[in-house]
Amino acid sequence: MRVHEFIVASVTLFMGSGCLSINDPTSTNGVTQMRPDERGFVAGLGIESQDLVVVAEKMARGMLGVAPIAQAKGKPNIVLEPVVNKTRFNIDKEIFLTRIRVALNDKAQGRVNFLARQRIDALERERNLKQGGQVTGGGSAQANEFKGADFILTGTLESISSRGKAGASDYILYTFQLLDPRTSDIVWESFYEIKKQGRDDVTYQ
Amino acid sequence: MLLPLLAMAACLAPVAQRPPQQRQEPQVDLVAEGHLIIAAAPAKDKNLWGYQVALLAMKQGRYSEARELWDRHLPPAGALLKGGASAQRARSLFQPEEAKIFFGEPHERTLAWFYRGVLHWMDGEPDNARACFRTAQLLDQSDESARQGDWVLLDYLDGFLTARQGGDGSDKLRRARAHAPGGASPTLPDYDTSANVMVVLQLGFGPLKRAEGRQGETLKWSGGHSTAKAALVRSGRQTVRAPALDDVSFQAATRGARRMDALLAQKANVKQATDTVGDLGLVPGLILAQSEGTRAAGQGLLVAAVAGKSVGGSVQPRADTRTWNNLPQHLAFAALRLPPGRHRLSVDFLDGEGNALPARWRELEVDVKPRGDTVLFVADP
Repeated sequence: MRVHEFIVASVTLFMGSGCLSINDPTSTNGVTQMRPDERGFVAGLGIESQDLVVVAEKMARGMLGVAPIAQAKGKPNIVLEPVVNKTRFNIDKEIFLTRIRVALNDKAQGRVNFLARQRIDALERERNLKQGGQVTGGGSAQANEFKGADFILTGTLESISSRGKAGASDYILYTFQLLDPRTSDIVWESFYEIKKQGRDDVTYQ
Repeated sequence: MLLPLLAMAACLAPVAQRPPQQRQEPQVDLVAEGHLIIAAAPAKDKNLWGYQVALLAMKQGRYSEARELWDRHLPPAGALLKGGASAQRARSLFQPEEAKIFFGEPHERTLAWFYRGVLHWMDGEPDNARACFRTAQLLDQSDESARQGDWVLLDYLDGFLTARQGGDGSDKLRRARAHAPGGASPTLPDYDTSANVMVVLQLGFGPLKRAEGRQGETLKWSGGHSTAKAALVRSGRQTVRAPALDDVSFQAATRGARRMDALLAQKANVKQATDTVGDLGLVPGLILAQSEGTRAAGQGLLVAAVAGKSVGGSVQPRADTRTWNNLPQHLAFAALRLPPGRHRLSVDFLDGEGNALPARWRELEVDVKPRGDTVLFVADP
């Protein structure tokens, strides 16, 4: 290669490499379908679907084995209270409760009954419409037909988080209690804990 | 005890001549324009525009749009910022730092989570709001330990929401007071856990980024300012003073060195060295190349000089100066007790001497919820 050709080639190469454009750095070649209990490749430090699945399954197994539930005469009525979030992660409480209820229902196979207290406003409205004769079914609707809870299931999420030069770490503790509202006894209690750590890319540190 | 204090506060409050409030309908729907800009922006800049438009929507009271924008552009609280191929490009010699996907500097990330928390609080999710404030504080990462996680309002609200839920918020209150302007002076009141109207305020204009250093490789901040240093929130006989608690310029400037700064410094050194090789080799090379006897050496020198200049010209050491440009300079907060129903609130903004700024006076109609907190967001300007 002659000297001037080398110069032109070098200049072109370097200038070209400096002017590469970025159209869509986030684009991916396709979508990967995963199981919800599988740890994805975009996993972070927070509460994720695989944690939710594991917690719900573990709780269902533990709770249904406890004597007041396993040996109950008839179907005990359970109210699921919204979980109390003390972590640094904002969560969708609805999906938490739904996943736990579904797991419990699946494992219980009709041995427990869940009360839809989170829909109490809509239920009361419907009952009032029936009683007022505005819709059919008023004759059978009594004022005190809503069932009382035999047990209340409560949950709390707590975390210890730290961040420094070495990276970030989050310890999350999920605790659940089954309470007897008549006696305030803690009938059953269990926990699930997980610790995650990682670090941002150097360009964001 | 509380009423005489409130009455006294009302008496001491400065009285301003208020101009009639101007109710000009905006000529252009800036939020709608913002959505178009986001759609057209390159992927690396979408988050920047998303943050800006989300805050604009909050300022205009378009909270559902703001919520949607935060959820789209703010990475989840536990996300590790990787940036994929764009981050690789930003690390390379021949691409500028701004090739990476924008997530903002720590003070920008912190404020994004602060605003998301305010929206959760508005939606009646105080524990999710507190979660966001905690994440916001955690993102205030710094190598200077004294400046780590020192946002005053974030600690104050964290403790306030904890106390409201029956917990012990005293530790957070102590931390907030320790970092509050004025040091030990009682800038921050004790928590009023019976308050039901929360006014979150932001004042002034936040700092802008600029590139300094020989090759623009050093990131600096400047330009943040606010004439208003406090606000007086009034409703009926109740007056609450909301002093500026956080200084965004201070937070931006005290975050410590970034690891990216070391990379940019290396890039700057390469650029400097190759430029020097180019400068030193070009003229002697040309002279030597004129003569038959020294032509080969001259041509070699010329090749090295041109290659050096080419590399130097292509190295990109410049710091990323993309700025979230509608941030405030200060954050403030006031909590009031009001019965459910419709109320009129007035907000006076005060300068550093405590004088009211009449042109800034604001009046708000507020519908206080029968249950839970009613959260207002007030921005000046």
